[in-house]
Amino acid sequence: MNLFQPEPRGAHTPRPTLRSDEPQGEVEKGSMALLEVENLSVTYAPRDAPVTRAVQDVSFRIREGEFVGLLGESGCGKSTLGNGILRLLSPPARISGGRVVLDGVDLTGADEERLRGLRWTNLSTVFQSSMNSLNPVLRIEAQFAETFAAHRVGEEVGARVVELLRMVSLDPGVLRAYPHELSGGMRQRVALALALALRPRLVLLDEPTTGLDVVVQRNILDRLATLRHELGFAVLFISHDLGTVLEMADRVMVMYAGEIVEDRPAPDLVREAQHPYTRGLLGSYADPRSAEVRVSYIPGRPPDLSVEQPGCRFTPRCPYAEDACGQRRPELRPDDGGLVRCLVAQDGRLPRTPAGAGPGLPVFVGFPAAAGLDRSADPPPEQAVGDPVLLVDDVTKRYTTRRGLRTTSVDAVRGVSLALRPGRVTALVGQSGSGKTTIARLVTGVERPTSGQVRFTAADSTTEVRVDRLRGRALRDYRRHVQMIFQDPFSALNPTRTVGYALSRPLVNYHGLRGPAVRERAAELLESVGLAPAGQFLDKLPHQLSGGQRQRVVTARALAPEPEILIADEPVSMLDVSIRAEILELLGKLVRTRRLAMLYITHDLLSARLLADEVLVLNHGDLVEQGPTLEVVGAARDDYTRLLLDSIPNPFSAARRPG
Amino acid sequence: MLYFVRRFAFFVATLWAAVTLNFLIPRLQPGDPAEAIVSRLAGRNEAIDPAQVRAVRIMLGAPDGSLLEQYVQYLGAVARGDFGVSYSYFPYSVTHMIGQTLLWTVILVGVTQVISFVVGTLLGTWAAYRRNSRVDSIITLGSTFLGTLPFFWLALLLIYVFAITLRWFPERGGYGGGSTPGWSWLFVSDAIQHSVLPATALLITGPIGWIIGMRNNMVQSLGEDHARLALARGLPRRRIALTYGARLAILPNVTGFAIALGGILGGTVLVESVFNYPGMGRLLLEAVSNRDFPLMQAIFLFTTIGVLVANFLADVLYGVLDPRVRRAEST
Repeated sequence: MNLFQPEPRGAHTPRPTLRSDEPQGEVEKGSMALLEVENLSVTYAPRDAPVTRAVQDVSFRIREGEFVGLLGESGCGKSTLGNGILRLLSPPARISGGRVVLDGVDLTGADEERLRGLRWTNLSTVFQSSMNSLNPVLRIEAQFAETFAAHRVGEEVGARVVELLRMVSLDPGVLRAYPHELSGGMRQRVALALALALRPRLVLLDEPTTGLDVVVQRNILDRLATLRHELGFAVLFISHDLGTVLEMADRVMVMYAGEIVEDRPAPDLVREAQHPYTRGLLGSYADPRSAEVRVSYIPGRPPDLSVEQPGCRFTPRCPYAEDACGQRRPELRPDDGGLVRCLVAQDGRLPRTPAGAGPGLPVFVGFPAAAGLDRSADPPPEQAVGDPVLLVDDVTKRYTTRRGLRTTSVDAVRGVSLALRPGRVTALVGQSGSGKTTIARLVTGVERPTSGQVRFTAADSTTEVRVDRLRGRALRDYRRHVQMIFQDPFSALNPTRTVGYALSRPLVNYHGLRGPAVRERAAELLESVGLAPAGQFLDKLPHQLSGGQRQRVVTARALAPEPEILIADEPVSMLDVSIRAEILELLGKLVRTRRLAMLYITHDLLSARLLADEVLVLNHGDLVEQGPTLEVVGAARDDYTRLLLDSIPNPFSAARRPG
Repeated sequence: MLYFVRRFAFFVATLWAAVTLNFLIPRLQPGDPAEAIVSRLAGRNEAIDPAQVRAVRIMLGAPDGSLLEQYVQYLGAVARGDFGVSYSYFPYSVTHMIGQTLLWTVILVGVTQVISFVVGTLLGTWAAYRRNSRVDSIITLGSTFLGTLPFFWLALLLIYVFAITLRWFPERGGYGGGSTPGWSWLFVSDAIQHSVLPATALLITGPIGWIIGMRNNMVQSLGEDHARLALARGLPRRRIALTYGARLAILPNVTGFAIALGGILGGTVLVESVFNYPGMGRLLLEAVSNRDFPLMQAIFLFTTIGVLVANFLADVLYGVLDPRVRRAEST
């Protein structure tokens, strides 16, 4: 066994391995594995719910210095697997089988004190939300100090912390700050510096950049790539974001329903994914800059893991499924330099991915090619462009805060003009703090502009309504015409009320419907957003629906008052990648068939490219670029727009791949 | 720093509002207290003699002059601690009566509150540290059980067992008939003897709220990402429990504790009446039953001031303990 040394390692010297009991690897025969996960299973056994097998029989290895991506959607078990490796599972979750061996030491069997010594010196981690992963009442320096103290590192700590902060491009001044005084990006850098504090050999990153702005994400990812080359640590990078994982990782493992379904070097995976699920995921991604953008989605939802099911777990959603798939459970078998868990692929009967659909872009023909989203085949219907329903004219919104005698003012939005037209989608693109949401609030009448006008003209009338002057009753009447679709479908619905009730409120309030007519209309609305048969959904509570279904309900509720304007604030950013296109397609269809004017607020240029006719780019309250989507995204003139575009992780170009 | 100045300004403003309300409310009530007293003395059907009414007014020191003059007078009197004459303990002043009882209450309730908070917080922390263990079950179930017992029943049970049956402690009062109040050893030991039973009653139920609150808060903060990351960082379990659990979990309890301390001045009516303890609670009860308005008003003012001071201290303490609050207020 390797002798664990709690003392800090000065220079980064590879330690001699004294192991003799190392099992011979099947895949990486001979090469030394830093982390070995063998048949790991994790079950959740809550008292009042059936046992769920969140991670089942997972085996893989990570070599010294290797960068491995773990890709999967919400609920696939990737974070549970990560926590299992870190031994951070808490009841009702527990490791029900298998082992995790780090550098020859069995973590699953180690007692608490031994484990404590191993932690952070060999294996460190960065969680998704660094908002919550730092202690809010301790200064940053204290959190570094306690980390060193816990591992009895005494000497030259001060200099080392400054050096660590320099590595993540932070000023030593942040040491005196409390976590809430730092921005999200800065906190995540602190978390990364903290993770590298004891020079670990493996860093587990669990969605490290999710929730950050693209530009900030780009900085952190670049920093991470550089540091990894300088320091040589291995990485297990867990994420649902295909672009990021494929760009960063040497090798990618794809997880579905608690199992690893594919394991392959990243370039091979991009070129020729073997598992139908991986292909589906890849199909949901596209480069927004290419002339033709096509994405696909995977219908259906992941299986319920509390129910034992024979055969391949992807079968119900798989376009290539055969009879055998439903009965025989496929093994994870080597194939063409990788591993795949698919009977059809293992027999070599999976069609090759058709080439020529896009520059290196695999198009998954088996899934409905989102026809409505194929914008290239959609010539701008000039004759269809009607008069604007809403005009935002040279609007400025200034927020003034007064403290004592001093006043400070911030222009959230400066001199912005835009027009919303029936049947057209206008996208507002920008980072957080760019003023996107302020514009939405001005359009809904929640806020009034400091200067400028917001004017609304209903389709069936010629009178213009000055939204910026509405009050009371008139404002309430106006809101009927403007409805919102929110970012988080989980909190946008009252968890204690049924779907039918949620839909009935606007019908009762705005249309004065009563009795059975309400339910009838609610059912129609559900069918119009693709939740059919509606009777099956009306009496459900929000928690019984998937994220995508909830977002459909939220959409149906927004349609209930028959509005002329829909404001969609990041409607897909919290949904799984594989179903985003599905929701976008629905929104696009609704806009065009119902002649709605949509303001689509997003930081995601790909979805803007897919959905919007026109794009407006906002930077710190200023409109920096505006024009037809293809022009803005395809040939950006403004530096900031180009920065946004360049920041998008691009798995299909090898240009950025370090090394 | 700005945070603390702000809190202090807020404190002064609320204090002023409370004092002013205390001045205004009785004056907004219909009827003349002097007439009411005379008619009560004279019986319902007899005519009221204006001379008697005037006499009562003079005796009680009823105010005269415009409302503004009265207000200025009142503020001056409050500042001097002059609350007028007590109706029910005539000719003693309200200040004298409160002076007689305040110390009893502050010592009995104050000491038990502090002990309850300390014990409750420690037990709650222990339960959360060993959550889902036997220790946790005993502490949580035990305190929930005790919490369901009616307080007066518990107090009467104590009196029955320890005062009447075992005769270990006196059953009522703050001190024995034979001793005279003063700082002599004899009197102090007598007073302590008398306070054991009411204090025990308060200590049995006092910590329960703090235990449950502390345990639940701490279990929650230990489930947060920062506690999990601390575990991943290999910090010792004890440090995680204290710095990542208890340190954060105690924050909401600090405010609750300060408000509880502020309430001390109002005494605990139930305990003091069951044990016939000479504290503010009993005084308030008597003031209410005798319609002793000056006394009631003074007690209410005292309680208000107590709560306000305690709240101010809680805000200050919170600012020291939680850096997030300081910042949220100053931006």
